[in-house]
Amino acid sequence: MNKIESICVIDDDPICVFGIKKTLKKANYYNKVLIFENGLEAIRGLEEYLIQGKLLPNIIFLDLNMPIMDGWDFLNDFVKIPNYNRDFVNIYIISSSVDPADLKKVEEFSVINNYLIKPITLEKIETVIQEY
Amino acid sequence: MNLLSFTYSLKDFPLAIAIVDLDLYVRNNSLIWANQFSHTNKENSEDINLKTIETIPKTIQDLIFSVLNEEKILIENIVLKNNQRLWFQWKINAIRDQDNTITGAVIIAEDITEKKRKEELLTQAESVAKIGGWELNLITNSIYWTDTTKTIHEVPMDFIPDLEEGINFYKKGKHRDLITECINNAITNGTPWDCELQITTAKGNDLWVRAKGKAEIVDEKCIRLFGTFQDIDTNKKKQIEFKKISDRLKIATGASKIGIWEYDVANKSLFWDENMYEIYSIDIAEKNTENILSAWKKCLHDDDKQVSIKKLKKDIEILNEFDSVFRINSPNGETKFIKSKFTVQKDKNGIIKRLIGSNWDITKLKMTQLTLSKTEESFKDVFQNSSIGMALVSLKNKWLDVNNSICESFGYTKDELVNKTFQDITHPDDISKGFDKLDLLKKGLIENYQIEKRYIHKNGSIVYALLTVTSIRDINGKVNHLLTQISDITSRINAENDTKKLNKITKNQNKSLLNFAHIVSHNLRSHSSNLSMLTQFLIDENDENERKDLRLMLKNATKSLNDTVYHLNDVVQITTSSKDKLRNTNLNDAIKGVQHNISALLKEKNAICSISIPEAQMIHVVPAYLDSILLNLFTNSIKYSSPNRDLRITINAKAIDVENIQLEFKDNGQGIDLERHSKKLFGMYKTFHKHEDARGIGLFITKNQIEAMNGSINLVSKVDEGTTFILTFKKGI
Repeated sequence: MNKIESICVIDDDPICVFGIKKTLKKANYYNKVLIFENGLEAIRGLEEYLIQGKLLPNIIFLDLNMPIMDGWDFLNDFVKIPNYNRDFVNIYIISSSVDPADLKKVEEFSVINNYLIKPITLEKIETVIQEY
Repeated sequence: MNLLSFTYSLKDFPLAIAIVDLDLYVRNNSLIWANQFSHTNKENSEDINLKTIETIPKTIQDLIFSVLNEEKILIENIVLKNNQRLWFQWKINAIRDQDNTITGAVIIAEDITEKKRKEELLTQAESVAKIGGWELNLITNSIYWTDTTKTIHEVPMDFIPDLEEGINFYKKGKHRDLITECINNAITNGTPWDCELQITTAKGNDLWVRAKGKAEIVDEKCIRLFGTFQDIDTNKKKQIEFKKISDRLKIATGASKIGIWEYDVANKSLFWDENMYEIYSIDIAEKNTENILSAWKKCLHDDDKQVSIKKLKKDIEILNEFDSVFRINSPNGETKFIKSKFTVQKDKNGIIKRLIGSNWDITKLKMTQLTLSKTEESFKDVFQNSSIGMALVSLKNKWLDVNNSICESFGYTKDELVNKTFQDITHPDDISKGFDKLDLLKKGLIENYQIEKRYIHKNGSIVYALLTVTSIRDINGKVNHLLTQISDITSRINAENDTKKLNKITKNQNKSLLNFAHIVSHNLRSHSSNLSMLTQFLIDENDENERKDLRLMLKNATKSLNDTVYHLNDVVQITTSSKDKLRNTNLNDAIKGVQHNISALLKEKNAICSISIPEAQMIHVVPAYLDSILLNLFTNSIKYSSPNRDLRITINAKAIDVENIQLEFKDNGQGIDLERHSKKLFGMYKTFHKHEDARGIGLFITKNQIEAMNGSINLVSKVDEGTTFILTFKKGI
């Protein structure tokens, strides 16, 4: 638990972001939470982070359906980021989609830990934190 | 002169006789003379001189003078032909007085013309009939041949044969042996002979002759042989040839079991040859006319008895010949078919003398014919009534015969079809289809083939057919004509095409349904999950300030859900009700109208629009959709215009085929990264630019609208250079 220093949420839906933040607090996580509105912002933000010499977040919650750059495109770019601690990043897809095609696509990305269907409840967050 | 005192007249002498004086004046003559030499019989005929009688040859005058002058004493039997082609035998004698002085001459002229002619005819006949005479004198052992005999032997006229030479002319072997025997018999027994033998002439030709001979016996001793010798070569050869032919015929009729019969009308006698008995299976001991006829009548099939006899009588009367087929019962109970034919021979007076006829057993032939006609009938039946189109086609591609089914399939009558080749009604694009196989078939390299081909119905519609072509060979195994079977599969193909169309529509609808489901899944679920989350927070929250915030968020989330439902409703509306609202709309007017409505926005961006659309170009669209599409394209161009340059919009249109108009809408804006986004371009809530108004709904709606009007939309784009949308519309009127 103490190992988790930062968590990143990439989602264009402010309500959803609000919900995750609130639930994280409930789960007694008070460390850093990074918020990005879409994939492109997240890639740019994380690259900036690395330039500043910081480590990548321990956990990323990634929405799939976003404008400009969606979750899949983000993943395509993310795996190309040269970083020594990328292997210590747990990525969770958070989506309202129950489309089996999306679930199947998850298998193509080994970096993904799990697929969480919205809404994100306290139990789901707690499991994610425990898994780390 | 004493001569004058010779008073009694010669008038009644039964001869042509006349007395002339020294000057050749006729002094006395018989009536016959006068008639013969055409002068009047006057008592005093001093004025008639022999010299003036034209019908007496000059030679006679000379002879008379020679007698009168005592150069000759008596002229006897001078035969001369006068100028009227009459033959006379003349006798001239001098008349002397008491002093033995010649005072005149007596002339007798005997008309021998008739005798002479007979003699001539005889000689002629001998040479014409090629009958020569010969004689062998056994006392002198000399042989005499007449001219014709010499001609037959082809020896010169001065040829004098002896006995041995004469016999050696006969061909060595049986001919020479036979004639030697005949001669010996004649000499010893006096037996005459008459035989046909072959000689070899002096010139080496073989010749058939008829030699006849007879002996003259005196005191029981043969002193002379004589006879005739006739050239019968031509006849003999004909005879031999005839015998050969009749022998051959006999062999032929025997082998082919043709029975021959002959009826002699005068003697009422009937003759049957062996084959006749065999054909009828009749075996009777005494083969007389009565027995034969009754046995024959018994054989006749009951049904044919009356008919054949009636026909027989009629045919003899009218045609003088008979040709018929009738049935007989053979003893083993089988029915045989007999073909009978005969002709009638009449004499000069038209009276029937003989009937000659033939009979033969044609049962096998008849049976084969019956089977054949049955087979043919059943084929015809199948051919005409088959539900499959069938045709017999010549090697020159002409219809020889077609059945009803083909006529129905193509809408032509049988006569119309037979006057066409099958290419005439083949669909132009399919004419050469299957020609390679047809060629192989005609060459006999393959037995049949099957292809699908299109034809043109008389009413112009397309007939789809499954064609099976089979070659039919003649008795020699050569391909003679083709049997074509045509299954009309038009309804099947049409159904198939309908199914394909339906399938395509279904596929499209399925696709849009799937897309719709996707939209629902992505967008409605995101709202519902937000709502459920917020509600849960609201329940758990006790702090009133927090609860106030949560309620506000709940309100916003509800509004978003509402918006999404509206958008989805729009899409449903587009696809369900657009077809009824299609109108002919002027494209140029529509573009100008939209441009006018957003002129303020365009001005703000310093936009330049160059529009070149044919003034009268009409398209078949839903006018409201067209406005919405154009508005979306304009606003997109404005929204995503490049900040580095003034916006330029170029619009033009052209017809790409008879049905479709293509519209190009080009800008010089930011462009879209097609490599990344091409799949998602027209999806709902897809945005590719960071813009405050980008909601990802415009292109989705546009695509749905344009497809609802049977059009299409596509684009080419390059980042930072611009985007060109390419749209197609149905042409209007």
